[in-house]
Amino acid sequence: MKVMHVIRREYVENVRRKSFMISTLLVPLVMAAFFVLPVVFALFVPDRQYRVVVVDQVGGVGAEVAAALVDTLKSGETKYAVQSIEAPGERFDAEREARIAAVQDGEVDIVVAIPEAVLTDGKAEYVTREARNFNIFERFTDVVSDAVIARRLSAEGFDFARVQALTEPVDMEMSRVSATGEVEEKNFLAEYGLVFIFVMILYMATLSWGITISRSIVEEKGSRVIEVLLSSLTPRDLMMGKLVGVGLAGMTQLSIWALVGLAMSGYAATSAVAMLSSLEIPPAVFGYLMLYFLLGFLLYSALFMTVGAACSTEQDAQQFQGLITLPMIVPLMTLMLLIQNPASTFAVVLSMIPLFAPMMMLARIILLEPPMWQIVLSVALLLTAIYLSIVFAARVFRVGILIYGKRPNLRELIHWYKLAK
Amino acid sequence: MSQPAIEVRDVVKRYGEFVAVDHVSLAVPQGTIYGLLGPNGAGKSTTIRMLLRIMLPDEGTIRVLGNDVAAIDVDRIGYLPEERGLYKKMKVGDLLVFFAEIKGIARAEARRRAVAWLDRMGLLDRAAKPIEELSKGMQQKVQFIATLIHEPELLVLDEPFSGLDPVNANVLKDIILDFHRRGHTVVFSTHMMDQVEKLCEHICLIDKGRVVLSGTLAAVKKQYGHNGVSVRFNGDGAFLKSLPEVASFQDHGNELFLRLRDGADPARVLDAARGRVEILRFEVAEPSVHDIFIERVSEA
Repeated sequence: MKVMHVIRREYVENVRRKSFMISTLLVPLVMAAFFVLPVVFALFVPDRQYRVVVVDQVGGVGAEVAAALVDTLKSGETKYAVQSIEAPGERFDAEREARIAAVQDGEVDIVVAIPEAVLTDGKAEYVTREARNFNIFERFTDVVSDAVIARRLSAEGFDFARVQALTEPVDMEMSRVSATGEVEEKNFLAEYGLVFIFVMILYMATLSWGITISRSIVEEKGSRVIEVLLSSLTPRDLMMGKLVGVGLAGMTQLSIWALVGLAMSGYAATSAVAMLSSLEIPPAVFGYLMLYFLLGFLLYSALFMTVGAACSTEQDAQQFQGLITLPMIVPLMTLMLLIQNPASTFAVVLSMIPLFAPMMMLARIILLEPPMWQIVLSVALLLTAIYLSIVFAARVFRVGILIYGKRPNLRELIHWYKLAK
Repeated sequence: MSQPAIEVRDVVKRYGEFVAVDHVSLAVPQGTIYGLLGPNGAGKSTTIRMLLRIMLPDEGTIRVLGNDVAAIDVDRIGYLPEERGLYKKMKVGDLLVFFAEIKGIARAEARRRAVAWLDRMGLLDRAAKPIEELSKGMQQKVQFIATLIHEPELLVLDEPFSGLDPVNANVLKDIILDFHRRGHTVVFSTHMMDQVEKLCEHICLIDKGRVVLSGTLAAVKKQYGHNGVSVRFNGDGAFLKSLPEVASFQDHGNELFLRLRDGADPARVLDAARGRVEILRFEVAEPSVHDIFIERVSEA
């Protein structure tokens, strides 16, 4: 079985390439960053005490702010050492400037200046050397707002705590019922993110491995290795060997990604961080990712091979490659629509059309559990399309592979197809 | 004589309207060195590709090593294409093992042979280097090894000497002769006539897709050489060309080859030349393959 040697060569040479190693490592790193960075940030946000001065022209507001800022550090110390200065009337400006100067000198970290007018125009000041810490800024915004609102309310005779309790917003919980009837809580935003990630991975993998195969044939034609090969192998051995060898290389890369993804998903599931635990991915999804990569790869690569066999130079091949890439873009463009209604007729039909099926069906599988018959039908249609495209590719391959020179047009491709009976 | 190694009968190959090979018939006897001659575009490469089943003939029959065209056993043939090519990124050793494997050699044996050949060619220290880091001359040697590593019974070489430096041309010539001594058959196409003269036992001249001339080198020369004179001289010898005995001539500058009319006596030419030019050498000669080639191709 000579085809085995072609498979082995294609596999080994592809897996050994530097770009293979780089992309195999890089994608999990990016995924890991997506999972891990939020946790890392949470852990490494500088945890220290802030020296705060509240300059209060209103009177009493500063004290309320100081009373509300009871946050503690991990060590148990208070996070904010608040000094509240009441500076009514004309003293306010001088006090404010002096304290801002202290921030500049590094004696104080944060100055909050609350002018009397805040009760009507709602404007106060927050001054710091490092303006980047939005969490702290938002904390102060909340605390100062509450104090000012409480003051306004009490001026009108309302009780702040009471008003707050009465205007508490409703907390809606989202969940969906799965086919088995169990109700699971889902972070929908995270789920959409997952769909995008999976579809993009599938898209990139199919595209890059398809182009790899097309390029390798153009290279063999360009370096004329092809003649030596064809004096030892049948075009069929060569073509099938490439398809399987490169496909296996792609599968290797994807399984590494899937394993890393599974590990991360397991980690996320046990994580205490709520945002992460919603990123748990059912293991079956990784299985479907591999399945649809394999099918999509075979379908598109047969077309990419046709291009490689038909063209003599990389530039010629690129134009045809663009043509093949077009149907891949359709799923990307309609993905938003599909996510909003993954069970619609539109979505079902798209996920059946072989050229779109891999990406569309995978997206639907992540979003909802489509009926098994739909999955089976999409796979069956894909297999049929793969068979037809390989038959077509094999014929063009046989004729095109030795023809050098000008780029053929579509009519010539069809002519070659007819020639190779 | 045993069955020919290659038998081509009435083969036609068309590319669209263009007839590349037009009813070609030839037979390559076992164990000979066979030269396929012809100008560029004569149909040599197309003929050779059909011998290797890379292309199929539109008409006619081809038998190679006893098999019909559909069943040609390519594992027993070594092929060096006109345009050389190797996988540039592959390591030399891996590449040779791969080329041996696709000719049906088991991996371990392929490795052993690759090492032996690289050693013989002085390239053993390059075995782990990618092809693209080798000089052009070294790449040519690797290509020779790739052609021979499966120990074929028949070598088919398409323009093997083109692009070779003198050292590698010699290496290749030795390979061909060594191969021939072991009783194997070599077919090569070329338009370098001196190689043909030195190496070939049989020749076949193809022009515009047709066989113009074929047979053993000796027979072909005899057919053409029955009345030739080669003169080397000092002085103005232009008059020699218009002697009544001369049918045609080839002017090589310092040397003149004259084809005489049937029945003409070479001694008359010598007499005419004596005294008018200083004769350095006078030889009743058979024409070179080069002369025959030029004559037949320009006639057609």
